[in-house]
Amino acid sequence: MPSSRRADRPPERTMMRSAKRYAIPLLLGFALTGAALGQEFKINWGGTIYTKWLWGNARNAGSLYNFTTVPGEGYGDNGQGNEIEILLSGKLSKKLELRARVHSRFSQNFWTNFGGFGGRNPAGSGGDCIGGDCGEFDPRSNQYVKLRGATLIFTPGYSWLDSAQLGANDWGQFDPFVIGRIRYIDRDNGAGLLLQGSAAGRRLTWDLARISLPRLWAGPNFSTGTFTAADAAYGAQFKFAVTPMFDFGGIGEYVNDMEVDATDRNFDNGRNVRTRFRNTVVGAKTGIHVGPKVDIRGAFYYSSHDSAPDLGAPGSFGLAGFSPVIAGRHNDNSWKANVDLNDPFGIGLSFNLEGFFIGAEYTSMMAARRETDVLLTEGHDAAFAFPGPSNAAFGVFGGNPTRIGYGGWDGNAVQVATINVDNEFTDFDETMAETAIGWKGFTVTPVLAKGPVEISGEYTYITYDTNWQAWGDPSRGIEDTDFAAHEGDTGVGHNFRSAYAPFQDKKTHIALIKGKYVIEVGKGIDLFGKVKYIKDEDNRMNDPRYLPFQSGDCPGGGVDCAGNRNFYSPGHSTADIYGNPPVITVNGVTGYQWKPFDSLADDDRNLKYWMFNVGAGYQLTEDLYGSATYQYFNADLFDGNTAMQGYRLHEMASGKHKKNQLIAKFRYTLAGLSECGLEYQYNFGTFEPDFGGGFVTQFASDEVSRNVHVPVGSPGFAGRFGGWNSLLKREFDQQRLKAYVKVQF
Amino acid sequence: MRLPFRFVMLAALGAVLATGWARAQEVTFKDPTGDDNGPGKYTYPTDTVYKPGSFDLTELKVKQSGDKVNFDVSVNSALDDPWGMKVGFAVQMVFIFIDTDGKEGSGNTKGLPGLNVAFASKDAWDRVVILSPQPPGRVKSEVEIKGGAMRSAIIVPNRTRGSGRTISATVDKKDLGDGDITAWGYQVVMQSNEGFPAATDLLTRKVNEYEGQHRFGGGTDGDCDPHVMDVLAGDAMGDKSEIDAQHKMLAYECNADGTPKTMATLTMVHKK
Repeated sequence: MPSSRRADRPPERTMMRSAKRYAIPLLLGFALTGAALGQEFKINWGGTIYTKWLWGNARNAGSLYNFTTVPGEGYGDNGQGNEIEILLSGKLSKKLELRARVHSRFSQNFWTNFGGFGGRNPAGSGGDCIGGDCGEFDPRSNQYVKLRGATLIFTPGYSWLDSAQLGANDWGQFDPFVIGRIRYIDRDNGAGLLLQGSAAGRRLTWDLARISLPRLWAGPNFSTGTFTAADAAYGAQFKFAVTPMFDFGGIGEYVNDMEVDATDRNFDNGRNVRTRFRNTVVGAKTGIHVGPKVDIRGAFYYSSHDSAPDLGAPGSFGLAGFSPVIAGRHNDNSWKANVDLNDPFGIGLSFNLEGFFIGAEYTSMMAARRETDVLLTEGHDAAFAFPGPSNAAFGVFGGNPTRIGYGGWDGNAVQVATINVDNEFTDFDETMAETAIGWKGFTVTPVLAKGPVEISGEYTYITYDTNWQAWGDPSRGIEDTDFAAHEGDTGVGHNFRSAYAPFQDKKTHIALIKGKYVIEVGKGIDLFGKVKYIKDEDNRMNDPRYLPFQSGDCPGGGVDCAGNRNFYSPGHSTADIYGNPPVITVNGVTGYQWKPFDSLADDDRNLKYWMFNVGAGYQLTEDLYGSATYQYFNADLFDGNTAMQGYRLHEMASGKHKKNQLIAKFRYTLAGLSECGLEYQYNFGTFEPDFGGGFVTQFASDEVSRNVHVPVGSPGFAGRFGGWNSLLKREFDQQRLKAYVKVQF
Repeated sequence: MRLPFRFVMLAALGAVLATGWARAQEVTFKDPTGDDNGPGKYTYPTDTVYKPGSFDLTELKVKQSGDKVNFDVSVNSALDDPWGMKVGFAVQMVFIFIDTDGKEGSGNTKGLPGLNVAFASKDAWDRVVILSPQPPGRVKSEVEIKGGAMRSAIIVPNRTRGSGRTISATVDKKDLGDGDITAWGYQVVMQSNEGFPAATDLLTRKVNEYEGQHRFGGGTDGDCDPHVMDVLAGDAMGDKSEIDAQHKMLAYECNADGTPKTMATLTMVHKK
């Protein structure tokens, strides 16, 4: 597991090795400064060396991470590299503490770089720096070490202020619905000012924060504009434990992304600013702890936001918009209520119940992006992360192969209350996050723990606040919406950051049972298994007035479609996205290139999804633990026919998906090693497409073959934008491995 | 036919007696809620993963079944795994100290590294079982490095898991030693799992004067204060009076240089 995700490694690590023993100039400087001032303080330092080894038969070697969607960044499943982090901490006095961290990153620092010499100069000339090919001229491949965070902590001893923290912080003190723990690769990338205080014997605590707004992603279009240095999120919260049985709290956030007002021509009195994006969130939480058997918690949040298109914020999106927030001015709310019943019958059987509503337009710019799971449900499985059968996005066009690979990520997704989901720079053995924006429903999870047996289950029902027609606003064009749909909602899963679709009428059932059992043989054999079922039904377009063309527009029999548009409101027709097919003749067969969109059933979605896994683990030696798992996924999916075409942009996924995973994991521990592990996966399976009828099958040309990697002459059809969907049965075979060694010092 | 009948009867009697004996091999201790404040003023770290009640010990149940002994430690909060430890819990770390011989001066009177506690001579411990969400290999590795002369008395279960509000583990009875588990003395120390401990600490989280995002507060910045959030005290029946007993047991004094003047000294609880 890479360092970027291990939260049991808080930044406040205290390293006790003497600086004298391992002195480096920087640390000596600190120590000498302290001595010169005649103060008795000690700078502690320590750190980690982390070595990673990736191997896979996708033969990508763009970076020492499996996955990213960031343009210009590499990704890969092959390579070896090291990274080092050095942590400093020191208590300069009773009232002042410092912490700092410098860190190299894997990025493209492959061992094969041989120390990072040469490369293209200037970096990036001739294209993006990928795979370390810019050598010493690009920071991603020249083994640079960078300041990753520095923090000063003041504890002045005032009655009204417990502490003041200045600098790097992951903001895990707040709330994942409002200000969540932030880690964009590193935990210490965020910075700001945090004041904390308490009263009434700490039964009342409060926090105030000013967080400098991350220009990289914390604004519309993943940007905070051009005047970024003064942008900030302001947070405040309090918690009051009235009695051990009852507590409540409140939280608020205000995000202000400012730009210099270009209309202010008088510089003599300073320059005016305008707001490019603002976001306000307020929330209230309470807990009733009836006793050891019953715990009740509730939380409610209200958000509003607004953005200014004339300052670079998007005014609207088309069918596949990308942005961490929806455009325009919106407000909405979210709430969650939990009841935990801890072994109420005294037989080891507990229940957790959760009701939830996360509004379609709920927006908190600083909500947790991947670090906190906000819902009780397992949600979807991370083996199906993107629309295409191989987890590719935009795979109907050349140059868009799968990045994470056919196997996706391990395990199930965690849910976050934002579309600003961040799975960047992760490896396949890490947890995938998915957006839960628009989800409303409930979850029940019984857990039976009795001796060596633990059996748990889940039933979740989800319907959606995003169930609407024409993006919920028929007065606008179908390619003019405030909602950023990202990769869209097609595919076996729902695509991890896709919350919105132009038409949705959907409900989801998730049910599972899983168990663990220890056989007391030798050191004990751990057996585990799981069965999971997901049923997804989405009628998408459910009103004939939204059909793109008038009834009978395409008469068939080799006759061209008339092109008589159907308007769902004045001037607006779904014909903008669901255009009629041309008549083509292939090998003497004449007909439409794809099925005309003339039925409400053309875009329906119906998923029956089963997942089974079974495995065993054993402590093979004192130092080595190993486990073997077999997982089988079977998804029978109808996800629109050739009239819908995966919104023209993505590979169609209608058909039968069978995915198998053989997983071997090893964990090795020696004195001095903090972590050492290996995971190998053999993923194989098939996809049998079933795109329905009503179109003439075409055959792949040499150009199509080159672009989308199908055999010349294989059957398929070309869509509205010329993208190719193959009708061949696909057979997948992916092997991949990640091994790592992590040593603390 | 007589012989088999007698044999069956004797076997049945033996089974009944054995069952009765096995049932007797269980002992439970309770701890009051609301005393997860160490000597009285300790506070939780400020990060939201440390949910209220996470370190509030409520019960220890020890049960022998055959040649195995199972430990169940319950807290006053549903367990969570925010750090992906994969064993059903993450933030807690539990030490179960056992006085198996009940002899004064026999055993260890020093606590484990990072806890900053001592044990009364009459309650010197002979074994300690560590319930940690870290992989057993990691815990054993730390024990190897930091356990010193106490290493052989430290037992790390092959697997520890959390479910609901209870952390459980099973160990071989032979590793604990001979004797009736119901006659032994016990002490439970609630701590927190720290993946990056100080070089002197056995995967434990520090207590400072002021709480931090991942540090307990209410103590001192030195190592004279017990780094302990909750323990069993008094008669271990869960009575509120045990809160005072705990605070007295964990009382400490520091020298000016931050070294211990009077160290918190723990005693064992016994089945009444």
